[in-house]
Amino acid sequence: MFTSKRGEKMNGAQRRYMWRFLPAMVVYSLVIPVSSSLIDGHRVDGVTLIALSIAPALPLLVAIAAVGLYLIEETDEYVRMRAIIGALGGTGLVLAFGTVWGFLEQGGVVAHIPAWFVFPLWAIGLGLSQGLCGLINRWGSRP
Amino acid sequence: MNNRLRVLRAERSWSQQDLAEQLEVSRQSVNAIETGRYDPSLPLAFKIAELFGLPIEDVFVSPSKEQ
Repeated sequence: MFTSKRGEKMNGAQRRYMWRFLPAMVVYSLVIPVSSSLIDGHRVDGVTLIALSIAPALPLLVAIAAVGLYLIEETDEYVRMRAIIGALGGTGLVLAFGTVWGFLEQGGVVAHIPAWFVFPLWAIGLGLSQGLCGLINRWGSRP
Repeated sequence: MNNRLRVLRAERSWSQQDLAEQLEVSRQSVNAIETGRYDPSLPLAFKIAELFGLPIEDVFVSPSKEQ
């Protein structure tokens, strides 16, 4: 979400973000195989099926909230601007990819993909956007 | 927006990290402002000027007055 230079300490907002985001990702990585194996084995139905289906989404909702809170709490305006540009890049990638894929899918050109792909795709877009910004800044910086 | 941050900092023998700590921002923020890649908000620009004890126009060059 944010880029730190080597040796630079994280500020309070960045530490809080890590304390929210990382545990959510750990929980997600633990929940997803359990949920998938139980659902794939057809050993559940009804409310249990609904609960197991939604379970992997919950830690991701915490991660999304962590991103939002970080953008609100970050006090360094330049770092916040970089994070917002990254988030916008991720959002743009999701919108562009989803739009193109949706029409291709409607035309029967490509297969259906599950909607949960949006979060990892957004994260990829964020990383790409921040990397691109870093390169532009490096090339465009005045001496 | 051009500014005299690098010169003013050098006159006081401050590193970018020293200035960043006094402004309570990251070193990369100071670097971005110094190199003209980022124009600070008005509150941060005033904070910088006050830290150096100068009017804001002695630190930042108005875009309309840039050559």
